Amino acid sequence: MIPGIRTMMIEAAVIFAIGVVLGLSFNAQLVLDAFAGRLSSAGARPSGGEVVQSTVDVQAFPLPVVLEEVRELLAGGALAVDARAAEVYAEGHLPKAFAFPLGEYDQVLPEFLEKVSKESTLILYCSGFGCPDSFDLGERLLAEGYLDVRVYEGGFPEWRDAGLPVEEGAP
Amino acid sequence: MSRATLYFYHFCRLTLGAVYLYAGVVKSADVVVFARDVANYQLLPYAWNYLTAATLPYVETVAALLLLCNRKVRPAALVLTSLTLVFMVALTTVLARGLDIDCGCFNPGQGHTSAGVALLRDAFLLIPAFVTLHLSGRMAKP
Repeated sequence: MIPGIRTMMIEAAVIFAIGVVLGLSFNAQLVLDAFAGRLSSAGARPSGGEVVQSTVDVQAFPLPVVLEEVRELLAGGALAVDARAAEVYAEGHLPKAFAFPLGEYDQVLPEFLEKVSKESTLILYCSGFGCPDSFDLGERLLAEGYLDVRVYEGGFPEWRDAGLPVEEGAP
Repeated sequence: MSRATLYFYHFCRLTLGAVYLYAGVVKSADVVVFARDVANYQLLPYAWNYLTAATLPYVETVAALLLLCNRKVRPAALVLTSLTLVFMVALTTVLARGLDIDCGCFNPGQGHTSAGVALLRDAFLLIPAFVTLHLSGRMAKP
């Protein structure tokens, strides 16, 4: 290899490595939690952006779950929460899913707080990858004090395409 | 190297550096949301989306700062050119799979830039990237 190119590639690798080390040093807890399947931290981030220190292990943001985990969690009593619009929910949703359109957050929240305990495991979903509503709703529910909030990123399209049971009808 | 070429080289270097500095800083400001954007590509296991989101903006920022400071220009340009090519491959797979996602190129969670538009933008970004890479090599020669 030409010496100049070899030096350039080594220096490029060093630049890359410095960036990675910097990123890991600023986000070590996040990455560790992600790989441990435990996306939580001692600092919760409510919707207002204010950092709240807690002595308990408070989930900082919704934990992503995949299809197999969703099936197991639902079988174990977790509650599916549909963040899509009500009319889309009516066309098809996960069995027994709670309709909680993100756009109607303020209207639906009182009923949700009344019916669903803060200790429930919540599995939020919307229209699949690329749909941010379930994640945004998850952040808000965490800020409300829900302790176990997860986001099923594959959402309704993946569930339906996997041939799993689908219910129809308005909430 | 003529004066015009020299100006063009510095223009490309600064443009590339400024674009990637902006991209790196805004993405590093909200790593969790950027991780969601990375996850939308459906290319990595979910924990790797967080690893990518946690490190990539810093790689961009370090390389961009070097370009702007006119230090280690060639290797920094190589890093950013390589990243641009990787992004283009990822965006091409998004188009091939028919996914309708935000590219997550700049402000994570803000707006929606389609894969096609982002691919076109990256193609344009390759011009200053290659020019910087090429001309910095010529400048390094005695």
